[in-house]
Amino acid sequence: MKFGLFYELSVPRPWTRESERTVYNNALEQVKLADELGFDQVWAVEHHFLEEYSHCSAPELFLTACAMITKQIRVGFGIVVCVPQFNHPIKIAERTAVLDILSGGRLEVGTGRSATWTELAGFNASPDITKKSWDEFVRCLPKMWTSETYSYHGEFWSMPERTILPKVYQRPHPPMWVAVTSPGTELDAADRGLGSLGLTFGGFDEQEKKIAEYRRRIQLCDPVGEFVNDSVSTVNFLYCHEDDEVGRNTGRRMANTFNYLATQLTSAREAYPAKSYPSLGLLPQLRRQAVGPDANEQAGDGLALGGPERVLRALKRWEAVGVDRVNFILNANEVIPQADNLASLRLFAKEVMPAFQDAKAASGGSAVGNGHADGGR
Amino acid sequence: MPLFGLLDPTALAASSVPEMPHWDTEAWALPRAEILQLAWEVSPATRALLPRAMHPAVPSYVTFFVTRYPESPIGEFLLAQLRLMGRAGAHPRGFLLGAIANRREAVAELRARWGFPVGMGGIALRRHHDRVMAIVTRDGASILDAALVNPETISGGDVQYIHTVTLARVAEHGTPVPHLIQIDPHYTFHKAERGRPEFSRFDAEAWNAPGVTLNFPVAASIASCDTDLPQIRFVMDPETPVVQGTRRIR
Repeated sequence: MKFGLFYELSVPRPWTRESERTVYNNALEQVKLADELGFDQVWAVEHHFLEEYSHCSAPELFLTACAMITKQIRVGFGIVVCVPQFNHPIKIAERTAVLDILSGGRLEVGTGRSATWTELAGFNASPDITKKSWDEFVRCLPKMWTSETYSYHGEFWSMPERTILPKVYQRPHPPMWVAVTSPGTELDAADRGLGSLGLTFGGFDEQEKKIAEYRRRIQLCDPVGEFVNDSVSTVNFLYCHEDDEVGRNTGRRMANTFNYLATQLTSAREAYPAKSYPSLGLLPQLRRQAVGPDANEQAGDGLALGGPERVLRALKRWEAVGVDRVNFILNANEVIPQADNLASLRLFAKEVMPAFQDAKAASGGSAVGNGHADGGR
Repeated sequence: MPLFGLLDPTALAASSVPEMPHWDTEAWALPRAEILQLAWEVSPATRALLPRAMHPAVPSYVTFFVTRYPESPIGEFLLAQLRLMGRAGAHPRGFLLGAIANRREAVAELRARWGFPVGMGGIALRRHHDRVMAIVTRDGASILDAALVNPETISGGDVQYIHTVTLARVAEHGTPVPHLIQIDPHYTFHKAERGRPEFSRFDAEAWNAPGVTLNFPVAASIASCDTDLPQIRFVMDPETPVVQGTRRIR
């Protein structure tokens, strides 16, 4: 199992001139330490207009800064919103290629379509077409990275033959992923040979079933890229402390704050009746969990919150159900002081990560599976 | 922490804050209802109209909810509501700003049983081949002329109705005390269509929504469904965040 960081970059009110800068600087310091400690990847989302919850509207810029201050950690651009009003596909190909070059071939690309009315309407994008435009974009992107020249005529965008520059550094191209929040999207990922970038906090039994079906289905896939990324990633919270109770209480406060902020999002389906958003994604689950930032509820069994033993136990269970990678949310609205978060990362690296190192080494030999195209690195 | 509403309930006109004698409302079954919902984004300044217990939606938006109830304990009636959407803690809710019913009995019952800030008026729900129109009048003057345009069939499962919150004064120890009341009907859908909302007339003052302008269309739907007005389950202090200020009464 590999471990990473996952950033929404939430910024608490009141917003001052320095508050966003502080959040970004704290995140960069965490990433630099995570790289030194042996974390495998850092992901940053693309969100727009999501007050307090996420001020991460230009993740490729943040990740470029990450790449410049680190040596090993991979940088996950994800998800990039594959809707034409948000991002022209040529610009996606160009920006990802530049990030791959600047990071020395450490890029991972997550794809998705946005799930909030706030964002979709903000860009005047119809919720009806996002699944289709995402499908079109993910089929084009690998060819735009790898073909000397490229032309395309599609439903959502077209271009005459041009040379898209620069080309990605990794060969054949960076691993591709799909954000999975709505039920069934993991099967869309499998059918296209894309990694499953889980963004839900579901229970073990539910995830085990989904992962088993994903693994079965990806064997039959028609890959959109030049290789299959059959990795399953999930997201979790991390706060590790020597004192289990302190770890759980502090971590629970952070998780509750995150969940509460997430439930304030206006989902596409809430405002706009549409077939393309058949469920509310992760929001119902978060609403059940989120009583409020100060809620006095027990941290879930699967959350990496508490003392090292508890965190280890939770992650071993995720490993047992088939998860390859866990990406951690470290903070929400800065409720955990930066020094405490850095100490949590150090403790996790010292006490928990070694228990997964053998498995990591064993899985490192796969050239195609688990998402890395090794040829150019 | 998300923003909160700014409404001072004591500043509202008495006519817009109904008085309820008690919480013991029986449920009304409302079969074969026809519901036209029209939604527009509005200015974030509408936070001034939302109780301090609630968070505003981001973006701020309102929904008109125009319903024909062919069967009810008081017979057929029509009801038009304007709701400012927000959050009660983690849950999406629509705060009922104003409403019109077309029968005096409905006005009296809805005010007394569920705290609807409803007045008497005229409501027409008309269907043409390319639109479903809602025309609402009060004292003979048009206060809403709006429509769902270009209906297309969707599944009832695609429609999500957000529960309503009303503000009413309810007698406690002999004194009327303002409370927020959650109205959470059930819906069984038979048919649904979606289209684009359009309006030609909206009198914000007449809906207890001073200053509200319909800035950006969101969506419109019309659905046939069996629904209800249920017994009251949750009430909230309008001045306290609902996470701390909610009381389950049933």
